[in-house]
Amino acid sequence: MQEIILAFTGSLCAAALFNASRKNLFWTGLSGAFGWVTFSWLYSATQQAMLATFLGAVTVGLYSEIMARVVKSPATVFSVSGIFPIVPGIAAYSTIQYLVENKLEEAAGKAVETLAQAGAIAFGILLATAVFRFGARLSKESKSKDP
Amino acid sequence: MKTQELMDVALKAGEILLTSGAEIYRVEDTVTRICRSYNVECYSFVLPTGIFISMTRKAQQSVSAIKRIKERRVDLYRIELINGFSRSLQSNPVTYEEAVKILKNIEGTRRYPFGVRLLLAGMEAFAFTLLLKSSIAEGLAALFISMFIYAFKGKVEEIGFFQFFEYFISGIIAGGAALIAVKAVSGLNIYKTIIGSIIILLPGVAITSGIKDALYGDIVSSLARLGEAIFIAVAVGAGVGIMLSVGLPWV
Repeated sequence: MQEIILAFTGSLCAAALFNASRKNLFWTGLSGAFGWVTFSWLYSATQQAMLATFLGAVTVGLYSEIMARVVKSPATVFSVSGIFPIVPGIAAYSTIQYLVENKLEEAAGKAVETLAQAGAIAFGILLATAVFRFGARLSKESKSKDP
Repeated sequence: MKTQELMDVALKAGEILLTSGAEIYRVEDTVTRICRSYNVECYSFVLPTGIFISMTRKAQQSVSAIKRIKERRVDLYRIELINGFSRSLQSNPVTYEEAVKILKNIEGTRRYPFGVRLLLAGMEAFAFTLLLKSSIAEGLAALFISMFIYAFKGKVEEIGFFQFFEYFISGIIAGGAALIAVKAVSGLNIYKTIIGSIIILLPGVAITSGIKDALYGDIVSSLARLGEAIFIAVAVGAGVGIMLSVGLPWV
């Protein structure tokens, strides 16, 4: 519960620093909380960081697409702030940290981890978007077929 | 609307989007959508550092324009406003004067007051430090360091140094302040404190949107963004690393 509030605060602050409008602030915080809950629950259940990150991003993506339709704002507003708690900023930093300390093998490992996590997040968000676009196209086609 | 005037409007809308950190495909889509609302054929090519637009109206010479973009900062509110503007044009194509007025208004929107943003930066550092399973003391240390970095970075931004230099100096400050905090308060983990306090600088979102650009097929922009993200991480990491290698023996 404490972690949910922290993730909520973290995303909300990030969204506000990115100058999201006031009416959206609460919803962006919720986006981060959903993403983090999925991520941390899956991570503790399976111990697989990639899978947890990917599904966390899918959750954020689906939530963003739904909220975009509910409050009529671009989905990016919610997804950019929502992925903030699971984004690999720390892995990116550790890579450089290891480089500075001349631990080259650890640095290479961390670099790959950073890219893989970023890739998992990007694919997760994109999957959600693709599902929604496909759905929109299907409903459009079925409407145009009606006499 | 004349083709030249339409070019003005489309270029301005694209510029606002790109300087607000919108995705490449969104900028291209918006420019094309604005032109289509006035029945003008249009091609746009957008990079993170510039916009190229070419328009043709039936039986007229084509008009092209280039705009160089230097500053980029994420501003979700402007993206939202421009998105709404370009969609409203489809059903209601306004005159040139009106469109320019709307765009001026969007460009003039303010961010949250500096004090509020400062507090937010601190809160964010606090929240993320605790998410990393740190103690409250580490969180508080990160909160103050992060607020200090944010204030400093804002001042440097006003003076207008190189972008990466800001990040380098911020890294140095984070490292130095964390060393002092660890020296003053016993029992703090220096790595957790540092990571918490530089979370507002880290390019996690830039890396992710770089990969997102690639998935949409904007390969050039994707590599540019990833490059930018890597430079930011290197600048911050180098700053922190220098401070740590000098200061760790002292602690």
